[in-house]
Amino acid sequence: MNKYFKKLAIPYFVWLYVLAIIPFVIMAILSFVNNEGLNFSKAIFTLDNFGYLTTSSTVIAFMNSLFYAVIATLTCIVIGYMVAYAIFRSHFKNKFLVMTILILPMWSNMLLRIEALKNIMEPHNIITDILSKLGIHVSLDIAGTPLAVIIGLISTYIPFMILSIYTALEKIDYSLEEAALDLGLTETKKFWKVIFPLSTKGIVSGSIMVFLPCMSGFAIPEILGQGNILLIGNVIDQHFRNMNYNLGSLLAVVILIIILGAIFLVSKFDKEGETLL
Amino acid sequence: MIKQYPGYEQYEVANIEDYGYKEHRLTKKIFKVFRAIVIIFAVFLMYIPIFTIFLQSINSSTITSEFGQITFKWYANIFDKGSLLTAIRNTVFISIWATLISTVLGTLFAIGISTLERKAKRHIMLLNNIPLLNADIVSGIGLMLIFSSLIHIFPYFFGWRTMLLAHIFFTLPYVVLSVLPKLRELDPNLFEASLDLGVKPYPSLYKVIIPAIKAGIFSGMILAFTMSFDDFVISYYTTGNGFDNLSIWIYSSMGRKSLSPSVYAFSTLVTILFFILLIITNLLRGRKQHHENH
Repeated sequence: MNKYFKKLAIPYFVWLYVLAIIPFVIMAILSFVNNEGLNFSKAIFTLDNFGYLTTSSTVIAFMNSLFYAVIATLTCIVIGYMVAYAIFRSHFKNKFLVMTILILPMWSNMLLRIEALKNIMEPHNIITDILSKLGIHVSLDIAGTPLAVIIGLISTYIPFMILSIYTALEKIDYSLEEAALDLGLTETKKFWKVIFPLSTKGIVSGSIMVFLPCMSGFAIPEILGQGNILLIGNVIDQHFRNMNYNLGSLLAVVILIIILGAIFLVSKFDKEGETLL
Repeated sequence: MIKQYPGYEQYEVANIEDYGYKEHRLTKKIFKVFRAIVIIFAVFLMYIPIFTIFLQSINSSTITSEFGQITFKWYANIFDKGSLLTAIRNTVFISIWATLISTVLGTLFAIGISTLERKAKRHIMLLNNIPLLNADIVSGIGLMLIFSSLIHIFPYFFGWRTMLLAHIFFTLPYVVLSVLPKLRELDPNLFEASLDLGVKPYPSLYKVIIPAIKAGIFSGMILAFTMSFDDFVISYYTTGNGFDNLSIWIYSSMGRKSLSPSVYAFSTLVTILFFILLIITNLLRGRKQHHENH
């Protein structure tokens, strides 16, 4: 098979270099110059852009991004593990079907789900309206607060965590569990010494799939934070909307470096490079 | 207490704890309750937006904060608003074409990758992970920069062409990653045998290899479609000339605070459709397995 189909991979190399590597080169160049849009005719080499990285608004946006992403990822790990483990241990005949129904919300439009979340986070919303017609008066006013953003992030990205932890749990050989019980471990010890270590791969890939979009997304903080909370994604988006490609590119390059670190981590963990699915 | 032999009082009586038994029943019970609460909370978090979308879709009032009465007029009027119809049509167009193209190309690329040496393979898999792991906003901006630098050659490039290219770009890695493991499980003798029997390599690819890996191709296709159908950020940066997909349409309507309730009806219908499809495929698969067992 080898000699015949080797050339099938060549176009993919070219494709990935053109669309995945060259943009980074352009962004790197853009962050060292001062020009208008993509017009390089009046470009001047400058290092001024880097001063922007230390201004307080950028630092706060970066800190916010890290803070929200870490909190959301940790919560997703705890909740996601419990849900995935409960399904894994359940006695349903078709666990895969239960799993897919559980993550069904993932298939409806993300922006619409966030908009719906925002609506019910207002003090007067459709659910309180229905409840008040039934004589129950409750009120919840968290729209525009950090809590709202964190809830939005968790609600949007937790399916990814559940799915990848569940996949890892599913791959565990049942005879290992039997062996652990035969050798006298209690249920709790069996969990911590056998099952948990074997499922860390799922936690790592789930965390990457939750952490990265939480850190760099701009729609969720914009809608649920109602402009009070700026993450780094919002700052980049604003720069590109104002045609300030230089600062936007610089910030994008910084994010990219963080992500390349994550890619490196993944390739360390799994030599075949197939952790992600 | 059992009657003891005389003089037993002088010995200490061992408790069950002395043998290393620890009373954990209460902690376990508390943990069980806690776990049930967490699971209910998780399901609540995932389903509350869907539930709200559903409520909104049968709400006669256009104000999102009050519930008038139950109505189905938004379902009847989904396509009354022309711009929503166009956006839906664009989304379907882009996601179907992107899925088809990236399934075909991704399968061929994966077959090529599987024949590479270890080093080249690691190299391309590292590159393959970039679109997958990269932040959407960075991918989107990167593609936008590349497409903008081509604008002098293709002046009317921005629009559906750029969006389609972008969607193929970020769905390809999913197909490649789903197909590769199936190729590894493939028996290499199968292909050799077909050559020995006089089949040319490329027909053999079509007749022998593809049928053996079709499960991987199918799951890659489903993943690609899911990603493409729901994408916002990359589409937002790579579109142009007023070509909106559903996400962009929702985002700009939200900005104008003029989100039509019809979109809630459409979203509910899509969710129900996915649910039905899911049940049907599961039933079919169950029947097939049942068939194979007998």
